[in-house]
This record gives sequence, C-alpha cells and structure tokens, in this order.
Amino acid sequence: MLGSGAKAAKPSFVSYISPEEIHIKEPIEKEVNPRLLPGELLLCEANTVYKYIQEDGSNRGTYGKLVCTNFKIAFLDEDSASDDNEPQFKNKIVGENDITLQCVDQIYGVYDEKKKLLTGQLRKYPEKLIIYCKDLRVFHFCLRYTKEEEVKRIVSGIVHHSQTPKLLKRLFLFSYASAAPNNTDGRNQTVMFDTLEDWRDELERTKGNVKYKAVVTNEGYRVSEKIYKTISKPPYELLKTDDLSSSLPSLQDIQTAYTRFKQLFLIDNSTDFWATDVKWFSLLESTNWLEIIRRFLKKAIEVAECLERQHTNVLLIEESATDLCCVISSLVQVMMDSYSRTKSGFQSLIQKEWVTGGHGFLDRCNHLHKTDKEEAPVFLLLLNCVWQLVQQYPPAFEFTETYLTVLSDSLYVPIFSTFFFNSQHQKDTNTTGESLKIQSGPFKFLTVWDWSVQFEPKAQALLSNPLYAEKPKPDKSQRKTTRFKHQRQLSLPLTQTKSSPKRGFFREETDHLIKNLLGKRIGKFINSSDEPHNSFREFYDSWHSKPVDYHGLLLPCIDGPEIKVWAQRYLRWIPEAQLHGGGTIATAAKILDLMEEVQSLQVKMDEEHSQAISRDVQAVPMLRNSARLSSLFPFALHQRQSIKPALPTSTWKDLEDEDDLVKRDDEFVDLTGDML
Amino acid sequence: MSGAAFRRVPGERVLAEAAAVRHRGGGGGGSVRGTLYCTNLRVAFVPALGAQAPSSRTFLHSEYDVALPCIRKLVAASSFAKPKVLTAASSLKFVPEELAVHCRDFRVLRFLFHESGLQPQAFRVATAIAQAREAAAWPGDAETALEDDDDDEEDEDEDEEEEEEEEGPTLLFESLRDWEKELKRQGAAGWRVSAVNERFDMATSLPKYLWVPSRLLDKDLKRAFAHFEERRVPRLCWHHPGGSDLLRAAGFHGASDPQREDVRCLEALMLAGHGQCVLVEAAAELPSLAELQLAHLKLRALCLPDSPVADDKWLSALEATRWLEHVRACVRKASEVVSLLAGRRCSVVLQESDDRDLNCLLASLAQLLADPHARTLPGFQSLVQREWVAAGHPFGRRLGLGRPSPRDEAPVFLLFLDCTWQLVRQFPACFGFTESYLLALHDSSFVPYFSTFLFNCQWQQGRTGQHRASGQTYTPVSGWREPVAVAGGGRGGAPSRWPPTVWDWRLRYSRQQRARFRNPAGPRGGSAPVGPTAPQPGGGGGSAAGAGAVWVLAKGALWPQPQPFPWRSKRLPRWVPSLESLGEPEPEPERGPGSSPLPAPPPRGPLLPCAAGPAIRLWRRCYLRAVPEGQRGRFAPSPAGLAEELRLLQERLRAWRPAAPRGPEEPAR
Repeated sequence: MLGSGAKAAKPSFVSYISPEEIHIKEPIEKEVNPRLLPGELLLCEANTVYKYIQEDGSNRGTYGKLVCTNFKIAFLDEDSASDDNEPQFKNKIVGENDITLQCVDQIYGVYDEKKKLLTGQLRKYPEKLIIYCKDLRVFHFCLRYTKEEEVKRIVSGIVHHSQTPKLLKRLFLFSYASAAPNNTDGRNQTVMFDTLEDWRDELERTKGNVKYKAVVTNEGYRVSEKIYKTISKPPYELLKTDDLSSSLPSLQDIQTAYTRFKQLFLIDNSTDFWATDVKWFSLLESTNWLEIIRRFLKKAIEVAECLERQHTNVLLIEESATDLCCVISSLVQVMMDSYSRTKSGFQSLIQKEWVTGGHGFLDRCNHLHKTDKEEAPVFLLLLNCVWQLVQQYPPAFEFTETYLTVLSDSLYVPIFSTFFFNSQHQKDTNTTGESLKIQSGPFKFLTVWDWSVQFEPKAQALLSNPLYAEKPKPDKSQRKTTRFKHQRQLSLPLTQTKSSPKRGFFREETDHLIKNLLGKRIGKFINSSDEPHNSFREFYDSWHSKPVDYHGLLLPCIDGPEIKVWAQRYLRWIPEAQLHGGGTIATAAKILDLMEEVQSLQVKMDEEHSQAISRDVQAVPMLRNSARLSSLFPFALHQRQSIKPALPTSTWKDLEDEDDLVKRDDEFVDLTGDML
Repeated sequence: MSGAAFRRVPGERVLAEAAAVRHRGGGGGGSVRGTLYCTNLRVAFVPALGAQAPSSRTFLHSEYDVALPCIRKLVAASSFAKPKVLTAASSLKFVPEELAVHCRDFRVLRFLFHESGLQPQAFRVATAIAQAREAAAWPGDAETALEDDDDDEEDEDEDEEEEEEEEGPTLLFESLRDWEKELKRQGAAGWRVSAVNERFDMATSLPKYLWVPSRLLDKDLKRAFAHFEERRVPRLCWHHPGGSDLLRAAGFHGASDPQREDVRCLEALMLAGHGQCVLVEAAAELPSLAELQLAHLKLRALCLPDSPVADDKWLSALEATRWLEHVRACVRKASEVVSLLAGRRCSVVLQESDDRDLNCLLASLAQLLADPHARTLPGFQSLVQREWVAAGHPFGRRLGLGRPSPRDEAPVFLLFLDCTWQLVRQFPACFGFTESYLLALHDSSFVPYFSTFLFNCQWQQGRTGQHRASGQTYTPVSGWREPVAVAGGGRGGAPSRWPPTVWDWRLRYSRQQRARFRNPAGPRGGSAPVGPTAPQPGGGGGSAAGAGAVWVLAKGALWPQPQPFPWRSKRLPRWVPSLESLGEPEPEPERGPGSSPLPAPPPRGPLLPCAAGPAIRLWRRCYLRAVPEGQRGRFAPSPAGLAEELRLLQERLRAWRPAAPRGPEEPAR
C-alpha cells in the first residue's frame, strides 16, 4: 500500500502535488503513518494538532497528526496505530477520523473566538479549524500548538483540495482505478443497465414487452445524451403527462430547505444543541424539508393512482428529466413493485433511474466545486422519502435504514464510479477517452453496490432487515392472481366524477359509498371541490382502509404526524441524543439472535428431511451483548457511558467542585452564625 | 341471529339495545356485526356469535366497551340531515344511520345502523345513551353502592394459565405483608414499616403503612405529622442499592409551630441517617395541574380526526399544545433525581405542596429509571399500586370521570404513562412490558369499575367497601382485604371480588391481547432482588441527626439551603455542615478515546433517557387512534411472532426425533 510513493514518481496524468509539496514529505514517526489506498498520495501534514472531543464545552481532546491526501483529510493519533481498538461497525475505506475531500461541506477558521468561513486564499491562519462534513460530522482542530509553517501548509492544503474547483480527471476515482488491482468481478445481483440485455430483461420482468421494446437508437449517444423516461406498465392506451417542474418544489427550494434543515444538526457544542432544542418542532417545520418530502411522496401516490386505478400511462416531464423525474419514478416503483424493495432490486433501480438515467451527480453534489448554483440534494431527497416508507412498513423492505444511511455516505466516497459522473455518456467518454490511450486500457471502476469493499461481512449483516417478510415463492401463477386481486380492489367506479363522492363514517364498502353520495360529509377533508384532489384522497383512503400486502402496492402515510426526521442519519453524531443501552438496536440485537436460532433450527429440519443439506448459516455474533451498545450504534464516534444525564444546565458542577463547596459552606456558616 | 350473551357487571341494567348493528373498528379489518347495548354504566357492543374467535372473547370487551363517564361527545349522522351532537337535553329529530362515540381515551367508536327496519331501535339506543350519560352515576360515590345482581354466568371454558410465573405477583400494598416484602426486596436496612396510620387517624390520605427510619419510634414519628400539609410526612419510596434513599413528603405546614423536640424528629426523618439531604421541589420546572389539563385538551383537539390543522403546520401545532414539553420536563427532572441518588449517598426528598400529584409521578419515574424490578410487568404494577393508589393520588377527581368539579381534572397519571412510554421507546430491551400494555392501562383508567382508579385514597376505598361489606364477594379479614384478586380470579375470567383491580387483565383483554403485554425482547429473569447493600450509616434518627447539610435542587443545580424549614424560629438548632459527611462522588468513568471502544455495560445502572426535542415523541398509537390511517399497516412481525415460530420449530424438531435428546445447540429457554 505504501508503495504509492514510488508510483507517484512516474509521470502520470494525475498530478496532485506541486514540487514544493513534495518537500514536506518528511519521515514521520513510524506508528502514526496514515494508511493510504492504492493511488492515494500524502499531500501535507501537521503535527501536534489537538482534536477536541465534541461532546461538551470542555477542552478535552487528543493530540495527533492532521494529514491531507488526494483522497481524504485524516486525523491520526496513537489510537489509530493500534489495531485492537476497532469499532464493531467499521468502514474499511473511510475511518472514523477520516473525511473524504468530497465529504467536506464547509470549513471555518476561528480567529480570536470568531468564526470565519474559509474558501480560497488565506492571508491569516486560524488558531482553530472547524470542518463540517456532508454526513453531518463536525470536527474541531486546535492548531495553537502546531508549528506555524505546518499550520500554513495544512490549512491552505485542506482548503485548496476540498473547496476549490477541480477537473473531473483529478478526482481520486481515476488514480484509484489506475492503481488498484482490479480484483473485483463487479458482477453481483445488481442489474447495471449498461447492456441491452439488462434492459430487455427488465422489460420482460415488468411484463412491459407487449407494447415496449428495447431499442438501441441511442447507442453512441447520437440521439441524446440524456433519455426521457416513461414508466411503462401493462397495456394501457391512455397517456397522461405530468409536468413536474410546475407541480413540485424546484431544485432551488430543495437546496434551500436542506441547507436550513442540516443546520439543526451541525452542532458545535452542547450549548448550541440545547438552544435549538426548546423550539425543536417549530424550527423543524420552518425548514420546510419535511414538507418537501411530503409533497414528493404525495406526487408519487398521484402517479401510482393513475397507473393503478385509471390505467393510464404516465409520462413525467421535466426540463432535463434527470432530477425530479428520477425521484418520482423511483418512488413510484418502490411503491408499486416489491422487487424494488429488495436490496438488489433497489440497487438496480438506482442504476436504471439515476446512474444510467443521467442524474447529474457531479453537479448536484458539487463534487468538483465548479459552481454552487447547481447543487441540490436530489438523491438524498429520494433516500429520505424511501426512509419514510422503510420506517412505516419495515417488513416490506429487505434493507434497513442503516443501509440507506451508508448509501447516503457513499455519495462522497470517490473510489466508486456510481456517484461521480453526470451521465453514462460522460463516464464512457472519460473511461475510454483519447487521452487515456497511453494507460493500460479503459478504467475499471468499482461500483458502490459491492458492499464488501466498504464493509466486512459481519458489518454487512446490519444492512439487511431480519424481519423482512420475504415473498413466498416466485411462482408465476400466484403472482398473477395477486395482481388481479389488486386491480379489482382498486377499481372504484370512475363515473363518480360527476357527483362528488362524499365521506361518511364507513368509507370502503361500495354500497355505503354510493349511499354516502347522498349523505353528509363528516371529517377532515370537507371542502374537496377540486376533482383530482378528491380522487387522490379516495384512492389514498381506500388503500389505507385495507390490510397491507407487503408485496403489493405500498402507499406511504403522508399526514402531518407521519413524516419524520431520519434520526439515524441526522442525529448520529450528536452525543446529547445518545442512549446508552437503548434505541432500536437493543431489540434488533435480540431479534437477530432469534432469527439466528430460527435459521439454525430450519437448517436442522432440512437436514432431518433430506440428509445431505447443510447450508451455512450466517452467524451474527457481533450484537450479542446489546447492553453495551448505545442507540447511536453503529455510528457514534466515541461511545462511553457517563452517569450524568445530558442536561442543558450547569448541573453537577456545584456538587463536584469541592472548593466551591467549601466557599459556600463558609458563607452559609456566616449567614447562620447568629442563629443560636 | 342472536348475539352472544351479554354479561352484566353487578348493578348493571340494560336500558336499550339494538341488534344487527355494525361496529367499524380500526386495524384494517372490516366491520363487525353485533348487538349494541346501553346500560346504566356503559355502552357495550357484543359481537354476534361467530363474528369473533371464541378465544378472543373476554368478560368485558376492551375494544367495544365504553363507560358512560368516558364518553366525551356523541354524534349522530344520517344521509338526510346534518350530523348532530347529542345531549340529554337536545332531542333527536331524525333516525340516525351512524353513531360516533368520541371517548376521553382518544378512541372514536363508530356504530352503523344500516339495515332497514332498525329505525326505532336505532333511535331508542341513541337517545338512551345521551340520557344515560347525563344520569350516569359515578360508582365511587358512596350513595350508589352497587347491588349484587346474582347473575350467574355461563362458565367460559377458557383454560387460563396462571400468568404470574416466575416474576412474582403484583403487590397491592393493602396489607402489612406487602410493605414488608417490598422493603426487604429493596434491601433497605435501617428502615421499618410503621403501622402508626393503620386506622387512618394520623392522616386520612396516607396509606395504612409507612416506611420510616428504624430508629425513629412511633411516638416520635407522631410529632412530625402536624408540620406537613395534609399531615403527609416524609417517608421512604425507594432505597438505592448504593445507599441513598428517595423520600416523598408534602410541603411544610406554614401555620404549625414546631417545638425543639419536633424539629429533631423532622430532621431524623428527612436526613434518614445521611449526612446530606436534598430537597427537590416537585412543582419547580414542572407544569401546574391547570397547565397540564390545558395541554391535554389541546392535544386531544389536535388529534381528533377532524382537526383543522394542515399537514404542514402539524409540528408547530403539536409544539403549541406544550404536552411534549411537559413530558420532557418530567423525564428530565426524574433523571436529575436519579443521578443524585446514584452519584452520592444522601437522602432525596421529593416535596410537593400536597404530595399527591407530581410527587407520585416523579417518585415512580425515578424508580423506573433506577430499579430494574420496576421495569418488569409485576414490578411496574406494584409501583403504580404503591406510589399512586396507596399514596392517595386522587384518581377520581383527576381523571374527571365523576361529578366533582372539572377544575380538579388533570391528567397526571396519563402524563406518567406517556413518560413511561417514552422510556419504553427509548430503551425497548430494558422493559418487561410493551406499548400495548401501557395502552391497555391508559384505556382502563377510564373504566369506572376498577377499584384501582375509583378512589382518592386507601381510606376512601375502605369506607366505600364497608358500606357494602355484607354478602359481597370479598371477605374482610381483620379490617383489610387480602390481596387475592390478582392472583386468584374466578372461573371464566369473572372477577373474584368486586370492584376488581385493574390488574386483573383477563376481564377486559383476551389471551392474545395479553400475550402482547409482555416484551419478549425485554430483560430476562425479571426480578432478581436488588442484592444486599453495603452497610450504611444506619437509617436511624439519633446519632447523625443534627449534623446534616440540606440542599435544594433547582434549575438542574444544587443550592445550599441554610434554612431547611420555613418557620423562623430561634429554637432551631444550628445546622452544622460537615464536609466529612458528604459522600464521595461516583468516580467518573474513564474518559477519552484511550478507553475501550465500548463502555463498561451498566447492568444495574440507571437508565439515562434523552429528553431532547428529537428524542421525545408523540405517543401516536395512543393519541392518534381516531385517525385510522395512522394506525394501519405497521404491525410488523413482532419479536413475539418470532419467538412463537421458534417454539413451534423446536417442538416439531422434537416430535421428529422423539428419541434424541436435546442437542446442545438448541437453546435452553
């Protein structure tokens, strides 16, 4: 791994380091060498940097070395040298004190207790560095004890490499791909949609081949660099078009809301946290982020209604069809197609709708820092919407919220090609482009779907939902009948549009429905004069009045109390929100235990039945003693128990500070001295 | 098509009934057909035979019953007229097709009279309910003693298993034995049970038995009563295994004039042998009863199905109810108290002016956090029995089900249940009971035939009992009743004593429902008694008294209290603070990243809940029950289901290999 230095000496299209920078690569103490990935180069470093432990206002922390490479910013202390200190859920690529350059959100310098945003050239160097990350971690580094020379280098190095515009080819992705041994076969269960076969198979799977056929007109990207999408469902003749850019929040709205929303979680210290805490709900509401999630979910339900009930094809229109269209079409498929709720199905969906679908990940994540104007967390919005469904109907999903969280983190890990191109076209031209002819052939990039790159098998176990209600058997006849049943369920008379259907206490039985046409409406949605809204509401209510089929259509609840904050993603680094021995993980551990036993018994029964079989049961020993875990598992930075509750006050100081106590007692004696 | 037999409770009379009514429940099912009864006590719906699995039938139907005082609003609807709110005074001018019963426990029951030919019945029942509701008697009122009906019931052949198993029974704290047993379990050396109030002549609202320091004689103890509001003296609630004690007391009586000797006794009582004593003003930072009631009303309005709040304004509307703010305040204060108890040796005295509301809440919350036994199902029930029922929480007045003025109404107990739910949600593996259980308890507190919630104190319960002592189903034994109701129970789920305690869950909940009360993922083994504790400087009064420091917990910090008692008097001895007597604070756990990646497990340590905004949630399954969409489709295959599957598989495996002994891999459960 450390051979990368030799590699860098060779002339290469990647050149991150200027000659001056090479000078500072002095030999360092043996035990705190950064672990470098293939192709990763150390750019600058600073010793005796003090990293604060975030938890409280105190100045506790550790000394160590801050380094910046072409891949990440990393803090190394004595701990990171020892291997026996590994957390249970460890990312193999990005350690807990590592920040990939793309993960850096904003950098602030502190000058005389004043925070100042650091962007380009610096005149003065700060005494403290605060790094806010896109995965919502916050790092505080004190540079007061660092040599001035080193401060200059590290601060300008970090700011330069993480905050200034970059060429695509300078992404670590390329150095990694050219340096890494290409040992992954890349073919897993995820359909990548990069071949014609993949598209044909998908059409076959969705029974769309009656009307649609996969065409190769766009090979070589002559027709268009982007492709319009239709959600194709069995043979409906009607076509409805829906212009998303007029009926949904704009990218700008999304970006604004998210920017406000994330401020609630980028906490500098305890005091900040408790300050927002008082008005938590109204602050949350004022960010508008949850409302945006609600509106996207609602739109997806409307589209699903057209497809399911009105039997119309829906053509989603958007200027480029690569942003809001991606969200809505993916959501609709997650809701309507249970295959999209499996892990491989969801991954194939992301491939189809987003990666090959031409979502501009580079621009939307602002990976290259070209311009801030294009930035918008569209993909994150999808994950947030899917999370709402996952937490409302856990058994319907093969993956867990932890899966969604690590997927959202992977957006910023530039060793996977998945999220680092604007389109398939851009990827192809950059992979096989002329300039690379000298290299050893086209690049072979890793895909994020190969989770073994980031996680050991036992950590991967946390990405799968042990309570997933698996589909009984892929029996085709059965599948058909469920579909039929489904359609019948939902085909309410369409003629009702003339006289608006009104609501009574009993909504679902048809005879009552008709009867209620005469009756009085009682309920929440009294003035539903506009027809589309009404038919939406009816569809929504009628679905919710029936028992849930985890393999059928799934509609999210979108009422006020139902849309929630994705606590795992947003609160995971905030110690004040941590519960020792609590949280869902406490029961998840028991459930995994139970699952394991059930599985092993099932294996045993299979053995009893047919002598030979002995499947490997995946053991999940890591969660055994759940009492030791905290609610922030598997994330929290430093987990430790303290007897003190997280109180927003100065509480226990009085009792602990013995000197103070003596002083008070003296006063106290004085005060009461004349009482006898 | 006659319905199943309607079982009346003693003293119940059917006023009107309507057959072939449909009840529309939540939970995604369709409607259930059955008979609707209006009696002088409740509105009851009995599903038709075959409409329900026999095993799910219970003596009182928890799902379909609503006690008359629990009805908040009645709405009749028809296709031909505007929906009408029914009261006894207003006359119904049309034949209702649907009747919606809005309950105080957040349920909305909907009955549909949809068959033709039902008009007269529908009309009669609706009117009868409206009138019966006005006339409903509060069974706690002495004058409405329930007459015995001698209504022998068919025995349901429902083979009941004894449920208490290894976890032990629920203590009712009506007998001396219960108090002694619990004191022993807590390992509170230095404390004794005093029977000084056995005849309620010291304080009517206090329980018969009190836990007081062993060295304090009854004759000295008697000196203390006069100096507290309602004569509610400080007494032990819970003894921390580390040596601290949690006490509760009413406020000092302003007008009393303690003598020097009295003050000595007071000190002995409050310091309980410790070097320092922390007074916790319960009302500080917690809502007043009026604020609480207002918040609850707002919450109820918000959670109604026809609430006018737009979805995008829901969160701020929720915040504006202030209910969650109150929940947070309670959780926070309880954790402060627990940290005090765990951190040092001292006595913590919860003080509230009348010691009957917030003190109940704080005392029991603190125990839930600190005592694993309180988190088992019987432990929790015993806790409620001791800190609320026996301690004299005025359930009758606070729940507002009876006649007394609505000014006294305040959902203190419901707030406690909400706080408990927050803890269960935050620490799902630490509790032996579930959300379903809390929900059942919540609903049951509105059912007016449980002795648990009928009375304002033990004294009142005893008096009401005396009135109808002769020929009743229980036997008075030397002045108090043996706590047999929970353990025993008659055949077929009928109560063995009337009124029954709420803990006799078989009355209202079927076996399947009760199976969901227990948390299979909860702690195993339940109630290992808290081990013997380190010897401590005696709980006695004599020696240590007079040398204690008194602190007040306020705004999350401790403040010295030079004047422990409000009476200005020269006779008070000087309070000499002795630093030696300050217990050494708990050594802080090792800090810094150098320590092991996982903290040492706190097996018996207190739970430290998070009271921050994002961590305190709305108890949706309770409050949003009237909004059906909110309730559907989210009952995941529970751990209970998995456990069941595991059992089945094990059984089948054993059946297949009858000869083979249990393999080592098979878990011994």
